[in-house]
Amino acid sequence: MRADRFIRRLGVIIAAITLAHSAAAMAAVSIDSYTFGALEARPIGPAVMSGRIMAIDAVVADPRIVYVGTASGGIWKSTNRGTTFKPIFDKYTQSIGAIAIDQSHPDTVWVGTGESCVRNSVSVGTGLYRTTDGGETWEFIGFKDSERISRIVIDPSNTSIVYVAILGHLWNANEERGLYKTTDCGKTWTRILYVDQNTGCADVAIDLKNPGTLYAGMWEFRRLPYFFTSGGKGSGLYKTTDGGTTWTRLSKGLPSGELGRIGVAVAPSAPSHVYAVVESEKNALYRSVDYGQSWTSVSTSINVQMRPFYFAHVAVDPLDSNRVYKPGLTLSVSDDGGEAFTTPFRGGGNIHPDHHALWINPNDTKEILIGTDGGVYASHDKGNTWNFLQNLPVSQFYHVACDDDRPYNVYGGIQDNGSWYGPSRSPNGIENRDWQPLLGGDGFYVLPDRADHDVIYAEYQGGNLIRLHKSTRETKDIRPFPKEGEPELRYNWNTPVAQSPNNPKAIYIGSQYLYRSTDKGDSWQRISGDLTTNDPKKLRQDESGGLTIDNSTAENHCTIITINESPRDSSVIWAGTDDGNLQVTQDGGKSWTNTVAKITGLPKCTWCSSVEPSHHDRATAYATFDGHRTGDMKPHVYKTTDFGKTWTSIASDSIKGYAHVIREDLVNPGLLFLGTEFGLYVSVDGGAQWAHFTGKLPNVGVFDMVIQPRESDLILATHGRGIMIIDDITPIRQLTPKVLESDAHMLSARPTPITIPSYEQNFPGDEVFAGDNPPEVAAITYYLKQRHMFGDLKVEVFDANGKLLNTLPGGKRRGINRVLWFMRMKPPKVPPSPELAGGALFGPMVPAGTYTVKVERPSDTLIGQVQVVLDPSLPHSAADRELQQKTVWKLYEMQERLAFINDAIVGVRDDAKSRSDSLKKGDALEKTLTAFSRRLDSLHKTLVATKEGFLTGEVQLRERVVDLYGSVSGYGGRPTESQLSRMDVLEKNIEKANTDFEAMTSKDLAQINTQLQTKNLTPIKVMTKEEFDKKK
Amino acid sequence: MFRRILLALAIPVLLCSLASAQSVDDVIAKNNKARGGLDKLKAAKTMKISAKMFMQGMEAPATLMFKRPGKVRIEFTLQGMTGIQAYDGTTAWMIMPFMGKTEAEKMTAEDAKDVEEQSDFDGPLVDYKDKGNKVELVGKEDMEGTPVYKIRVTLKSGDIRDIFIDGENFLEVKESSKRKTQGAEIEIDTYMSDYKEVGGLMLPHAMESKVKDQTVSQITISKIDLNGDLPDSLFKMPAKADSTAKAPAKADAAAKPEAKPDSTKK
Repeated sequence: MRADRFIRRLGVIIAAITLAHSAAAMAAVSIDSYTFGALEARPIGPAVMSGRIMAIDAVVADPRIVYVGTASGGIWKSTNRGTTFKPIFDKYTQSIGAIAIDQSHPDTVWVGTGESCVRNSVSVGTGLYRTTDGGETWEFIGFKDSERISRIVIDPSNTSIVYVAILGHLWNANEERGLYKTTDCGKTWTRILYVDQNTGCADVAIDLKNPGTLYAGMWEFRRLPYFFTSGGKGSGLYKTTDGGTTWTRLSKGLPSGELGRIGVAVAPSAPSHVYAVVESEKNALYRSVDYGQSWTSVSTSINVQMRPFYFAHVAVDPLDSNRVYKPGLTLSVSDDGGEAFTTPFRGGGNIHPDHHALWINPNDTKEILIGTDGGVYASHDKGNTWNFLQNLPVSQFYHVACDDDRPYNVYGGIQDNGSWYGPSRSPNGIENRDWQPLLGGDGFYVLPDRADHDVIYAEYQGGNLIRLHKSTRETKDIRPFPKEGEPELRYNWNTPVAQSPNNPKAIYIGSQYLYRSTDKGDSWQRISGDLTTNDPKKLRQDESGGLTIDNSTAENHCTIITINESPRDSSVIWAGTDDGNLQVTQDGGKSWTNTVAKITGLPKCTWCSSVEPSHHDRATAYATFDGHRTGDMKPHVYKTTDFGKTWTSIASDSIKGYAHVIREDLVNPGLLFLGTEFGLYVSVDGGAQWAHFTGKLPNVGVFDMVIQPRESDLILATHGRGIMIIDDITPIRQLTPKVLESDAHMLSARPTPITIPSYEQNFPGDEVFAGDNPPEVAAITYYLKQRHMFGDLKVEVFDANGKLLNTLPGGKRRGINRVLWFMRMKPPKVPPSPELAGGALFGPMVPAGTYTVKVERPSDTLIGQVQVVLDPSLPHSAADRELQQKTVWKLYEMQERLAFINDAIVGVRDDAKSRSDSLKKGDALEKTLTAFSRRLDSLHKTLVATKEGFLTGEVQLRERVVDLYGSVSGYGGRPTESQLSRMDVLEKNIEKANTDFEAMTSKDLAQINTQLQTKNLTPIKVMTKEEFDKKK
Repeated sequence: MFRRILLALAIPVLLCSLASAQSVDDVIAKNNKARGGLDKLKAAKTMKISAKMFMQGMEAPATLMFKRPGKVRIEFTLQGMTGIQAYDGTTAWMIMPFMGKTEAEKMTAEDAKDVEEQSDFDGPLVDYKDKGNKVELVGKEDMEGTPVYKIRVTLKSGDIRDIFIDGENFLEVKESSKRKTQGAEIEIDTYMSDYKEVGGLMLPHAMESKVKDQTVSQITISKIDLNGDLPDSLFKMPAKADSTAKAPAKADAAAKPEAKPDSTKK
């Protein structure tokens, strides 16, 4: 064998060995949802504007039990008619289409997933579910490929019979559509009405008195990334009288041409009256008074006609067959069988428009619940006035940003609910009132100007970019317009706006062109040509809608949809388009390269949902592509390290849901965060493996993310559950393969400032949502490969001198554990009293510094450090802080000193009393002892409140010292002169008590002890400080 | 607040349940074995636990005492004041001196249920049929990433407890309970760990209680005495306020050296 061949052969062998080893190493270090252990998402709402509601049902026998199904925020249950709600469907698809309670067994509830109001931003469902225990547990029943279920109807005479209206896929054809029926409570299903693969069942209504009679609205519809069609040959209104075995297509009196979406309702009190809102050449409400045999057009009022794809719903009062409600853009009502409509809002009606769900209490029709694009409202007067249930945090954020205030603020825009900002922390939790509205319409990007804290950029749909000035509330419309000779600008529904990470004054906006401004939008420089495909077939938004034209900018296409400048190099800018281009410039916009052709395996024209230039390398970037608008539900995630010349897929089978956004960590380039329609995925190895992050995060769409660099918080814009914050991702940054393979490992956390707890007096009742605050104490963080079971696991905290300050119970779970250390010394020992001294339940805060922490396990000890720092948001000087701390410590010692003196006094008093009790009544010594004990008791009573009972108001020395300790502890800066002089006075009082006690013991006690000895009784001893400390 | 502490204290059911494998009885049998075996479990006539409670940065020493049949007494001390909840097999009572009231009070029937349940010395799985409890093996699942068996216990009272038994060691790692109080339902999850052998029994020495996924209290146990002398008087409701003030001292006295941790060994 020749030498070179041998060497080549050796090379192959070595390569094989290396590969085998790296494969083995990768296999060994597997991560899953539990790896992140105690790291959890913190929901901060807001619920002030809530979000889109799709379905409402309540228990007729007990209408306090209400289920609310939301567009993409899951199911919420109330047992108190909406005062409080709890989410009960977090492990499943968050998009809800229909809810039906089995009123004969109210703990049985059927849920169809997948919203049926098929707007451009609609989510997807995963089939039919049922609970039989009021929502505690859920069973998947079937229809996995249904994508969206519009209605569920239960036969009231036999609740084993259930009808499920399946609308089916929105963006492509599919088979699992139409009306299905079970007669055995869901074990088996029969499709009883079907048209074709493009037509679904949009609505079904049952005749409650003749439950074999049903009416069903079939709808042919299709959405494309750039176009929507409602209506076609498949649409029609059908009726059966034999439970679905045979059907008649109803036509008499109905429009003869093509139909669109149809909503249908039977009057429960008079089932010959049937109402149908029918989309056709001329949208109208039709009425039949002969069980659907013939129909008359009764109303073409604007609220009846408007947007059938969104509002094809009609409801009849359960007791009055002529009272018809038309939820739509607004709520209108007719009292004459649908002929004349008016508003029910008399003296009220200040509720969010866009109504999709209506529940009327059949036993008291004044009671109505309505579901809107902005949450649930309740009326107690037939719709005149409404109260808002301010406790459903189901806002659908598109994007999120943050600033660097302390606490930092979170900014974002919401589907149909404008643009907002709110704090990441607030006294009493982050309440609705903490959120500030910025702009109306649909909100998307909201960016605080990093160079000018008075300025915020926000937009509403279709590229309407606004500059807001916080101090004056002035707004300025700053969108770019085409220059002479340029075509009209195409702005996406969700127009991208970005800030330069390098130049705080530079902002970007994208139409088909990319624009850059360095003067807050007062002027713009176009820095690209048309970056899209500019395909005329996809520029027909003014024709979009089908039978009912609906040109809201929602179908604007061939637009830039994501923009990001490299944090490493301001001349490297990336732009992705909704028609599938991914462009990059390396010269600040002079020249652009479309890199999408270099991506293999990606279907053509797939929406580029996000692009993320690396924070660590100028040539590296990540991109996500989202094909769901053509029916491609796969996640597409790619990485380049050469400006897009080559791309590698970093998606894996463990990722569920189409991909919205990817972010690379600011510190660890291997740490990636991916937001999909079904949640958050995390990779710690650059995308080789992904784990679903499930810590208090439901399977909700994660549309955008940002990392707050100072706090290392990952902030999620969820489309359905508001803003979620994962506080301090520092520990995840340290999850290297070596750490993951170890049995246990200490992880470091961010430094913790010493904060003074704040509180505001505010009693808003239980209806108002309040988001959690982050813990204001230090987290001791470590990783355990397995759950700890046997022997003690304790956490110890030591100061710089090695003194043990606290011993805490450790966390035991697999993955990351977080043990909260309250950063306080032990509470002072205070003299006992009938009433607790609340101020003395807590010890003083520890001083700023580095503390050593040890995690003691039977097998080993992990050692790490915790940094405690001064709160930088407090303005106090170092000298003032030091004086405050010294004063608190002095008062702490005074309480302990008082406790010691008091214990000593009480000890001698009780001994004297017991000696006197053992003597004969009238004995001289007995009298002396009794008198002595009484004098001691009098002294004791000046030291501590002794009256029994609640709110005695008694204040003695203990109460005064504890009160001062509490008030000086509550302010981080210099104590007042009054406080300092008060401390001196109280200290003198304590010493005076001691002097009095010493006088009594030195003079009287010596005599008493001599006499006791003559009677063979044990002398009385005064407790020493050593004995007190030991007892403590 | 203090009610909540005690509630949390009462939940852990130190001695209680463990779980199973394929059939529910199989899991329960393995659990009994892992705990030390039925003989040793039943040989324990009294138990005194010295513990420390942690709540929102506060620490309080606590003592829990159990005696067959069906007696329990729980104490914890803050600023020298001792709160007590106890049950003597008939009457559940408490002393909550923190707001100035030092007399013993009878507990409401609803509140008493926790303490009474606590007095089931061996936990609801042991002899569940005789006790009128129903058990069902719900299945195997992941509890914070640890494979566990989930057993649903329907107590004689109708209340439901879900008991999670770790699939490797067959020791209880979690109990979930729903408690109806004043018409509202509170769900409490209690996690057990730090198992150590005491007198042949495998007992948890750390517990954490969570409501709505938030930790409300934790307990660490420094010492467990088996079969010490715990006089019946400890569990009886004191007649007058005066006598209650001394009750903690009595408990201390009773705890003394008679306690023989090894007495259950055969």
